[in-house]
Formats: sequence, structure tokens, C-alpha cells
Amino acid sequence: MSAPVHSPEPVERAAATASLANKFLMAGLAGLAVTALGLVVGDARGVALSYVVGVSYWVAIAVGMLLLIIIHHLTDSGWSTVIRRQFEHGTSAFTWLAVLFLPLLVSAWMKPGFIWPWMDTGHVIHGGHTVGTDPLYVKKSGFLNLPMFTGMSVAFFGIWIGLSALFRKASFAQDHDGDPKWTYRNRRTAAAGIVLTALSLSFAAIYWMKSLEYHWFSTMYGVWFFANCMRGAMAIGVVITFWLYHRGDYKGIYNTNQLHCLVALAFAFVVFWAYVTFSQYFLIWNANVPEETFWYNIREHGDWVWVGMLLLFGHFFYPFLMWLSYRRKATLGPALHVSCVVAVVILIDLCYNVLPALKDEQDQPLPFLSLNLLWVLSSVVGIGGICAWSYLRSFSTAKLIPIRDPRIVESLTHHEATAPESGAVPAAH
Amino acid sequence: MKKNFGIIAAFDTVPQFYQACEQVRDAGYSQWDALTSFPIHGLDYAMGVRRSKVPRFSLAGGITGFCTGMSFIAWLGWVEYPLVVGGKPMFSPMFAFPVSYELTILFTAFATIGGMFFLNKLPMHYHPVMKAPQFVRALDDRFYIVIEANDPKFNAAATRDLLAKAGGKDIVEIEE
Repeated sequence: MSAPVHSPEPVERAAATASLANKFLMAGLAGLAVTALGLVVGDARGVALSYVVGVSYWVAIAVGMLLLIIIHHLTDSGWSTVIRRQFEHGTSAFTWLAVLFLPLLVSAWMKPGFIWPWMDTGHVIHGGHTVGTDPLYVKKSGFLNLPMFTGMSVAFFGIWIGLSALFRKASFAQDHDGDPKWTYRNRRTAAAGIVLTALSLSFAAIYWMKSLEYHWFSTMYGVWFFANCMRGAMAIGVVITFWLYHRGDYKGIYNTNQLHCLVALAFAFVVFWAYVTFSQYFLIWNANVPEETFWYNIREHGDWVWVGMLLLFGHFFYPFLMWLSYRRKATLGPALHVSCVVAVVILIDLCYNVLPALKDEQDQPLPFLSLNLLWVLSSVVGIGGICAWSYLRSFSTAKLIPIRDPRIVESLTHHEATAPESGAVPAAH
Repeated sequence: MKKNFGIIAAFDTVPQFYQACEQVRDAGYSQWDALTSFPIHGLDYAMGVRRSKVPRFSLAGGITGFCTGMSFIAWLGWVEYPLVVGGKPMFSPMFAFPVSYELTILFTAFATIGGMFFLNKLPMHYHPVMKAPQFVRALDDRFYIVIEANDPKFNAAATRDLLAKAGGKDIVEIEE
């Protein structure tokens, strides 16, 4: 790892951060404008589902960051103190994600059934019946109805915004007074927060994505989304680390061992994602019940089968085999490379779960390679730009690391009892 | 007279000991060891110890376990006892996967433990250092460096000088 070419003074860095934030804001607004334009010129439902993918993608990453903070406090971790601050900045995006979710909520009330077919009981399903007479809907109608959907979605964002605000406030306050009571307070918040976050992310995945095909059953769905949340947050965490290291902020702060811990955790979740995703497929394959198998059947139609293969190899085999080696976990370049692959494949995973709900006249899924990918891209750039802007705005309001956290020294001197290899980030010896 | 095993030197403080290890490492010795009563962070770095080779055994064990599971179930379904269950094929990697996955973990664990024992030359019931009376204090409050006589750079006088210059005390030769 070559040393940064130049390490600008703090004032220049602050200016660079502000200008970067503006660029992200511009990119975000442009992305949202293109998406809005798509509603007019393109297939409106395709654009709307692409937007669902975009919102889910950034919600997954933000929820993953929230979970990493919660797990840090619950396990009283040492090593992750230095990176935790970046996740605290990342969770500032929940407010904006709630705002960006509003169009979906408005469309649900204005045009029920436009995005989620079960919202319109008059919607004609395959076979000529309507949703209202479909036993599989009637039995689920206590859960799948518009007031529940609205209330739950508001509650999800309420929980996420509330928890992240509590963690952020306590962590930033500790920078000023160094009082350990903030650490204890965060630990209590985390204990309640882990339950609330686990439930809310599971139900969000069920309401927003799984219910697009409400006939389907899978007890693994929430866990699958959780796996993607964690993987997304850690992938973005590595990207942030790379940026801060190369800009010089992390020089002498971040070392091989902290990076190794972060990527080792990401590696564990590679296996976890594969375990969960395989379990879902395997149980449905084995039980062979039509209400469940149809979901995978439509995903073996057309080019979706190749998307499934891409997930198998890109979401599991590639990161798994790459990160088996210590060097690729403890060196910033390879860690970043694999993290970027993971970040892209998570998006494809969400597309795989959402977009086949778009059907043609024969009730077959529309192909993956279509104009919808443009709207997915514009939604992801649009919402991601706003999230990155929110992160950078928060970034400039607090110290780079929680300097008065009781565990900060332990984190800075974190040692994994292993000699660094050549080419690794220089350890702070 | 018995064969000389090597030279042992004592150190009283951790920083002194740590720096002595760095000096021995930089002098190019390979057959030597550091004796401490508790783990010293970064000592492996000071000693120039490379990363363990155990993961290679683990990987080999894992691949063996996975292939064992898959091929065993394929042989069972296709050759030994072909039986249609639940309308499924005679063999599919789907239903063979959970067992293969478990065998991957099992064989990885075996290979890791076995590889660790093999690389450490365990079990080892006798080591010349244990015979030296100093060894008792390595378990208590002192730190020792032992440089073995079979090291290609070993030279009784020069090695003794190096250890003395690094601050070593009570430098003695120990027998095989």
C-alpha cells in the first residue's frame, strides 16, 4: 500500500468534503429526476418497482450500519470503535430515506394495486379470479392491508430514525465530555434496538418486496434480507475506509488488524448469506409445494436463470474464494475490490427478488435485461446520492473517530497476534 | 560429553526481551525460540515469525470433505442403492449439499487440528530446554531466548556475544 501522495491540511479536507457532498447531492437529484422522467416516458410500473429496488438497497445498507453499531455495543467490542463513527454518520440517511419512501406510500393510497397487487381487491389474478376472492389473500388480509402497510412502514422508519438518533447523540456527546455514561446508555439502547431492528427489517422486507408475490411463503425471507443488510453495510464500510485512508484521514489510525477484523466479519456473512439463500431454495425444492415453487419457476424463465447463476457465483463463490486468503482480507486493495463486487451483486439480488413481479400478458416475468435496468440505476444513483450527501454532511460535524470512547485506545492498538505481511496496510507499531 | 543443544539467555523486562528478539531476528537466525510465561503482543512480529501454514491443511481438508460427501451420496444413489424418493432424481447436489457441507466442516476441523500437531511436531514428550534449570523461571517471571546449535548461523562465541550485547544474562549452553 503506497502512502497517500499528499495529505492536505484539515481546512482543505473540510472544503473537499463539502464539495464532494455537493457533487453527491447533484448526482442524487439528477438520478431522482431521471427516475421521475421515467414515470412519464417509460413503463410506469417498471419504474416504480425499480424505485422499490433502489429504496430497499439503501435501506438495507443503512439498516446494516445500524445493526453494526448495535452489535458493537451489545458485544462491548473493542476493535470496531474506530470504524463505528462512520456507521453513525451513515445512519443519518434514515430521515432522507423516509422522505424518499413517501412517493411509494402516496402511490399506494392514490393507486392501490399499482405496485403491490394485493392492495386492490378487484385486481384480476392468473386464472380469472380477483384478489378479493383469492383464499390465499383472504387468509392473509389481516396482515396485508393498506392501513397495516402504512402504519408498519411509518413504524419501521420511526424505529430506525429514533435508534440512530439516540446512538448518534450519545456518541457525539461523549466526544465533548468523555463521560462513560453514554457508553452505558448506548448499550441499553442496543439491547432494545436489536429486537426492534430485527423485527422491523424482516417485516419491511416482507411488506415491500416479498408481498409483491403474496401467494408465496418463505420463513427465510427476513433472514435473507438481514444477510444482505450486513453485507451491504460492511462493503460500504470498506469503501469508506479506503477513501479515508487514501485521503490521509486514517493515516496512523487505521491498521491492518482493524481492516482484517472488518473483512473477516464480512467474510462470515458471505457464508451466512449462502447458508440462508440455499436453505430457502433447498426447502422449497424438497417440499415441492406449488404455492412455493412457482416463485423459483418464474425465476428460471428467460434470462432470470442466468441472474440466479450470477448470484450463486458472484454473491457467494467469488467473494468466498477470494476472502479465504488472509492477504486479501488484510490488504485494502483486494478488500475494496471484493467489497465493490459484493455491493453490486446485492443490488442484483434485490432485482432478482423484486423485478420478476413485472409480468407480460402470458403472466411470464419480463426479462432482466431491459430498460428497467436504467430505472434501477437512476433510482440507486438518486437515492444513493442523497444518502452519501447526508453521510458527508454528518461527517463534517463530528470528530473522525470517537476520541473519548472508553475503548478507543484498545481499538487503535488492536492486535491480532499475527505478523503483517508485505503489501498490507502498515500497522501502527 | 553430551552434544550441545544451544545457548540460553535470560532477560528481566519485556521491552529488553522484545528488542533482543528483534536483534536475533535481524541477525538472521532461524532455529531459535522465545520463552515467556504470558503472551506478549507483537512478539511474533519481533521474532519474524511468518503466518502459520495451518490454513493450507484446513483448505485441503475442506475440499476433501466436500468431495467425500458429494461422491459418497452420488455413488449411493446411482450405484449402490438407486431409489426414487419424493420424485427427486437419483442424485442431485441439492440434497447432497447439507451432508457435504457438514463433512466440509468436519474434515476442515480434523485437518486443522492434525495440521497444527504436525507442524508443531506434537506430541513432543521431551525437549532439551525442559532439562535446563532456567526453564522453571520461564514459567514464572523471566524471559528467555534459546538459539539452537543446529542453526546454520550458529557460532558458540558469536551467538553468545550477540545475546550478551542484547542484554542477556546468565548465558549458558544447554545439552541435548
